[in-house]
Amino acid sequence: MRNAVLIAVCFILGCDARIETFLPNRVFSLSLEKTRGASAERATEDARRVVQELYGTPDDPSWPLPDNNLADLQNLVRSSGPVSSEKDGTHLGLFREHCVVCHALEGSGLGAASVFQNPYPRDFRHGVFKWKSTERGKKPTRHDIRQILVNGIPGTAMPSFALVDPEDVDALVDYVIFLSTRGEVERRVIAAAIDELDYGETSPEDGWELDSRNEGEGGEVVHEVLERVHADWAETQDHEVPVPSFSDLTGKALAASIARGKEVFHGKVANCAGCHGPSGDGSLPTLDYDDWTKEYTTRIGLTPDDDEALKPFREAGALKPRRIMPRKLQGGVFHGGGDAASLFRRITQGIAGTPMPAVEVVSEPNGKGLTVEEIWDLVRYVQHLSTSR
Amino acid sequence: MGAESNLADFHEQGSLIHRLCVLLVCLVWPLIWVGGLVTTYDAGMAVPDWPGTYGYNLFLYPYKTWLLGPFDLFIEHGHRLLGAVVGLVAICLVASAYFRERRRWVVVLTWGLLLAVISQGLLGGMRVVWSDRTLAMVHGCFGPAFFALCVAAAVVTGRRWNGYWARLGERPLSPGCVALVVAIPVLSYTQLVLGAQLRHVQPNAAPGGFAMIVATHVIVAFFLWFITMLAWLRIRRCGDLTLSRPAGLLIGLVGIQIALGVGTWVVNYGWPTILDWFPGSTGFLVRAKGFSDSIIVTSHVATGSLILAVSSMLLVRVLRSQHCLKSNVDRDVAEPTEYEYRNNTEQQVLEPATV
Ligand code: HEC
Ligand code: HEC
Ligand code: HEM
Repeated sequence: MRNAVLIAVCFILGCDARIETFLPNRVFSLSLEKTRGASAERATEDARRVVQELYGTPDDPSWPLPDNNLADLQNLVRSSGPVSSEKDGTHLGLFREHCVVCHALEGSGLGAASVFQNPYPRDFRHGVFKWKSTERGKKPTRHDIRQILVNGIPGTAMPSFALVDPEDVDALVDYVIFLSTRGEVERRVIAAAIDELDYGETSPEDGWELDSRNEGEGGEVVHEVLERVHADWAETQDHEVPVPSFSDLTGKALAASIARGKEVFHGKVANCAGCHGPSGDGSLPTLDYDDWTKEYTTRIGLTPDDDEALKPFREAGALKPRRIMPRKLQGGVFHGGGDAASLFRRITQGIAGTPMPAVEVVSEPNGKGLTVEEIWDLVRYVQHLSTSR
Repeated sequence: MGAESNLADFHEQGSLIHRLCVLLVCLVWPLIWVGGLVTTYDAGMAVPDWPGTYGYNLFLYPYKTWLLGPFDLFIEHGHRLLGAVVGLVAICLVASAYFRERRRWVVVLTWGLLLAVISQGLLGGMRVVWSDRTLAMVHGCFGPAFFALCVAAAVVTGRRWNGYWARLGERPLSPGCVALVVAIPVLSYTQLVLGAQLRHVQPNAAPGGFAMIVATHVIVAFFLWFITMLAWLRIRRCGDLTLSRPAGLLIGLVGIQIALGVGTWVVNYGWPTILDWFPGSTGFLVRAKGFSDSIIVTSHVATGSLILAVSSMLLVRVLRSQHCLKSNVDRDVAEPTEYEYRNNTEQQVLEPATV
């Protein structure tokens, strides 16, 4: 009887549609078409199928390389699917409960509420993250992602999930890695299909189709990509940026260090002021975009404010290009942490995915980089700026 | 003589029903609050202890220790309990109307109320069983409508229905003014439906559609505010405090609601770019499942219902007073109708002339 009522109501009102599949990365395909001068349609479709065989669907995830411990399938299952909770209070569908409105099911950053945000929510599929302890080109560690979830990113829409059960947060870290890996594999497989398997021409020859099993040319290509992306994540621990010892200074010593830092900030080598403005006041007009945006604009020869040229991309889901501003450091807020170690890493690595460049660390002042001591001076100056108005 | 005692009868009979309706109104608003809290907060409450997080939310911590035990229980069972109580009151209402109410359409109205409670309960249950967002949305839209219906029932069963408004000597409000008064509940309900769509957004919703709904929700909010001001300007001199006071109140409520709406956006999605001039916005940190945040969101939901209820009350009162005034005017100029216009020192009443 109850079921009959349920079904009747659902029939009349229409219920939540099951979500059968992740959406393909059409913006990326369009960019590829533009740079390769070839059709990416078939490659996109085949890649979608292959990636689905490897990673499953939003309701039913799987993990293609069970022997590596990057992500625990149990956690992925708990994070995916529709929101619900069990008797003992365990939450299911964590990603849809907490993240999906901004980051979207695919982790594309194209969630329902993304349009009004600045910066836009992260697209995990590039595998590029800003606030981390590792080298610029490397993946973040689990600990980095966890810190981001717990602390949030002040000054952006990214919330702090400190009040969410730590086990749930852990599961979500796995799910971020899952979405990122999945998305990056998809991207690389599409590119490889065009570049290595002649997908762009007419259609691939027999045996050269993309294949999720490690068989034939197509299968090998897929597995190369898979191994590579997973290895990147697995080895990230080895690429943490070591931070030399930092001494807390006070009084005169601190003031002197800040003064030296100010010199460095405005000096030729670091030229922080060139972007952040004199004394980090954020007054300089800049016209720059982050890498996520550049991929479908400047890197393929389109002007970001040329609405006409961008139309196909916007129709494929891309958000309106939004300029990235060098942070106003006066009274500023640090998105990735204002402690000395974080700032040291930020300065020596730059910020991945953004125009903020890395500064080379040198052992002797040579006009090309900064010594560790100079960097610490700079860090103290930046910290000092953040407390001033 | 006979008619007079009839009249006394009538009022006594009416009052129990009226009191039950008022009781319903007084129960349903808290029910909407608790319901909103359950939705906003339930997820955060599922695991009541969160070790290691105390350091993060210092100023919230005392609230939590204070409220956690009892509050958890309170909203967990409170919503269902209160819902059940509302159901019982609705049953009493139907019973008393059945025995003591003469106006058939009022009896039907009470049946409608009971039916509405039952379906709302069913919807809520199914929503939980299926954890279905569409159902959650319907449940969310239906609650305020039920609330408004209760308020309307309270008005039509009230003493003034057959008393006060019949006595007003002023001329009726202009049709334009009545149209404004109609527009307010209609627009408020539109807002509720739009808001429910924001609150229960589907996981695969596209950003474009959501942005459209947000834009509409905001534009309609300001339009509604404007309409409430216009309506008040025109009602304020009508000489009837039962109309001009709620009209004035609505301006305030919608103003508060807009502020709460902005707050709701901010605690969910951070400061939007257009408001980044606001002091402190650049360093603002969104906290998922924060307690004070959930209160802001829930207040927004509850005030939305309140606006709908107050504007429905105003509408029913205006329609009634218009109707009475018109009949008075008609009676003056035209044939006396089947109603006899009786003059009582306390109040004037429309009474069936023949018993
Ligand atoms: C209200 C919107 C919103 C919600 C909800 C949200 N995020 Fe974010 N998230 C953002 C924004 C905006 C950024 C980009 C911040 C930046 O560029 O500095 C971001 C960035 C991130 C990053 C990248 C950080 C880096 O180092 O680059 C991760 C990882 C992340 N979010 C994970 C999550 C997870 C997991 C959830 C759910 C538990 C979640 N987010 C919920 C808006 C949101
Ligand atoms: C090419 C322009 C450019 C230069 C040169 C540059 N920055 Fe940046 N910087 C940026 C941009 C853009 C951001 C914002 C990144 C973001 O929020 O995504 C930023 C952000 C920052 C932040 C904020 C980090 C956080 O956690 O929120 C700090 C601190 C910073 N820069 C310091 C420096 C210092 C010190 C230098 C000199 C060594 C420097 N920048 C040089 C462009 C630049
Ligand atoms: C007259 C004015 C308004 C009314 C009557 C109103 C009503 C509502 C209601 C009833 C809901 C919740 C629906 C539900 O839970 O079922 C809601 C949600 C919402 N409203 Fe409003 N609203 C008004 C103005 C605004 C304004 C000006 C904003 C500003 C941005 C706003 C932002 C929101 C947001 C963000 C939500 C979603 C809440 C969530 O996700 O939990 N509202 N609105």
